[in-house]
Amino acid sequence: MVTIRHPRTALAATAALLPVLLALAAPLLAPADPDTGHLADRLLDPGAPGHPLGTDGQGRDLLSRLLWAARPSLTAGLLPVAVAALAGALIGITAALTGRATEQALLRTLDVLYAFPGVLLAIAVATLLTPGLGATVLALSVVLTPAVARVAFTETRRIRTAEYLEAATVSGATRTTLILRQVLPVVAPVVLVYASSLVGLAVVYAAGLSFLGLGVPPPTPEWGAMLDELRPALFTHPWLAALPALVILAVSVAFNALGETLRGRLGEGTEATR
Amino acid sequence: MTRFLLRRLLLAVPTLLGVSAVVFATVALVPGDPVTAFLGPGAPAEARQALAERIGLDRPLPVRYLDWLGHALTGDLGTSTSTQRPVAALLLPALGQTLTLTAAAFALVLLGGVLLGTLGALRPHGWTRRLSGAAATLAVSAPQYSVALLLTAVLAVHWRLLPAGGTHDAFGPGGTGDLLRHLVLPATAAALVPLGLTAKVHRAALSGVLASDLADGLRARGLGRAAVLRHCAHNASPALLTIGGLQLAYLLEGVVFVETLYAWPGLGRLLYDALTARDLPLVQGGVLLVATAFVGVNLLVDAAHAAIDPRVRS
Repeated sequence: MVTIRHPRTALAATAALLPVLLALAAPLLAPADPDTGHLADRLLDPGAPGHPLGTDGQGRDLLSRLLWAARPSLTAGLLPVAVAALAGALIGITAALTGRATEQALLRTLDVLYAFPGVLLAIAVATLLTPGLGATVLALSVVLTPAVARVAFTETRRIRTAEYLEAATVSGATRTTLILRQVLPVVAPVVLVYASSLVGLAVVYAAGLSFLGLGVPPPTPEWGAMLDELRPALFTHPWLAALPALVILAVSVAFNALGETLRGRLGEGTEATR
Repeated sequence: MTRFLLRRLLLAVPTLLGVSAVVFATVALVPGDPVTAFLGPGAPAEARQALAERIGLDRPLPVRYLDWLGHALTGDLGTSTSTQRPVAALLLPALGQTLTLTAAAFALVLLGGVLLGTLGALRPHGWTRRLSGAAATLAVSAPQYSVALLLTAVLAVHWRLLPAGGTHDAFGPGGTGDLLRHLVLPATAAALVPLGLTAKVHRAALSGVLASDLADGLRARGLGRAAVLRHCAHNASPALLTIGGLQLAYLLEGVVFVETLYAWPGLGRLLYDALTARDLPLVQGGVLLVATAFVGVNLLVDAAHAAIDPRVRS
């Protein structure tokens, strides 16, 4: 019999995987074309015949749009975190293993980047580039990298003087081997778990940028952009406007819960925690 | 103590210089030329040249930076290109509005975060701990704009309890009561994420102290639950202070969405408008102000930390 050893992690992972699967299956699941609608059917409340979640101001089926929107919205949440994890790990490990001058230079640069308002930095990068998925991904990568670099740096510095590193050096390991075989296996899990806890934030930021009109251009559906499109309907059809807001909230909760359980389990593995 | 503070103050100087250099360089090097943005693409060359000279764009970058920094230090941040008004005159009232909103939100963060965190720390295995954890995760995950829209839909549109935007009623009596009524929704929307983080950190810190020898010693001496909790809360306060300071800084810079949705005339909204209008002097001045405030808040936190915990000073 299959037993689940970590029910909470399994539950959180399922919840986080669900939107990804729905995004992949959008062509199969969406009942209608997300980009075309009939003006006669505009702003139907959820439960209308043929439109289980209602329609937007242009009569487009909301369920179809929400499903298709998962693709750009999740890409904009997951890809920057992957970029930040790679770049941050590279910067952090380099800073911790090279000389004092490089270390100080990198740390002071991170301090300066930290002092920048994150949301405004993302908005600034997105405004300066042509709005679209690429701009959003780049903007969020820039915003998330310093924090990951800080984590990778702290973790690498913690093990810098460890005896097994000395042993490897004495037995003639090159710098590359040392990093790949000794440092990365210790630092990578910490960085990955930290990065996983950033996905929820990235999804929220990405939808936020679209909400401000800095994301994927219309008519492509995207959760933040849909929220903005449905905002005028707030006073007459509050349920319709609440839908994308609830979807973003649910996805963010799922990824944050996954990040938390993973962090908890990493803690169990490395030190005695209650 | 004085030495410690002086040292921290000196360390802030290079950070601020770096911030100012990055702000200036980023804004100066961005694609999109302010002369074209202001005059339009078809403007004659002489007019372009005249404007470039008037706003000093014909000089080398380092000279322009030093000039800008020198003026910034005396409070002169230049003229906004989209409104033709002094940048400082635009930023100051907006800063006041953002501080009002931030103060209200921060009060909610501290109150809610400490209550929720304490609730979670009281019993290590009880349902209160799980409830506190779930509530904190929910709060941390809540996007400002989603919360803002949902709260407005229910409280302002459906029940008509609170105003849906602005800082004062146009035809109302005005005054503090009116301002507070307008603050409830934006402050709540802005407070949720930092509140959740604060609750998590406080719960972890307080749980640790409550399970330590210190707490056992206090209990062994016969102190009641409330007294033990009071002493332990004091010992857990440095963590609360650190996370609180970070959240205050986050609030100062992170209220763009709330300010936009609730038509709150603060810094975030001003800067967002400035970015979309490519009003470079206003963007430079605004970001410099926000970053300075961020470094300032961190300094205050360090000072308070040193005042509470003598171990930090050495």
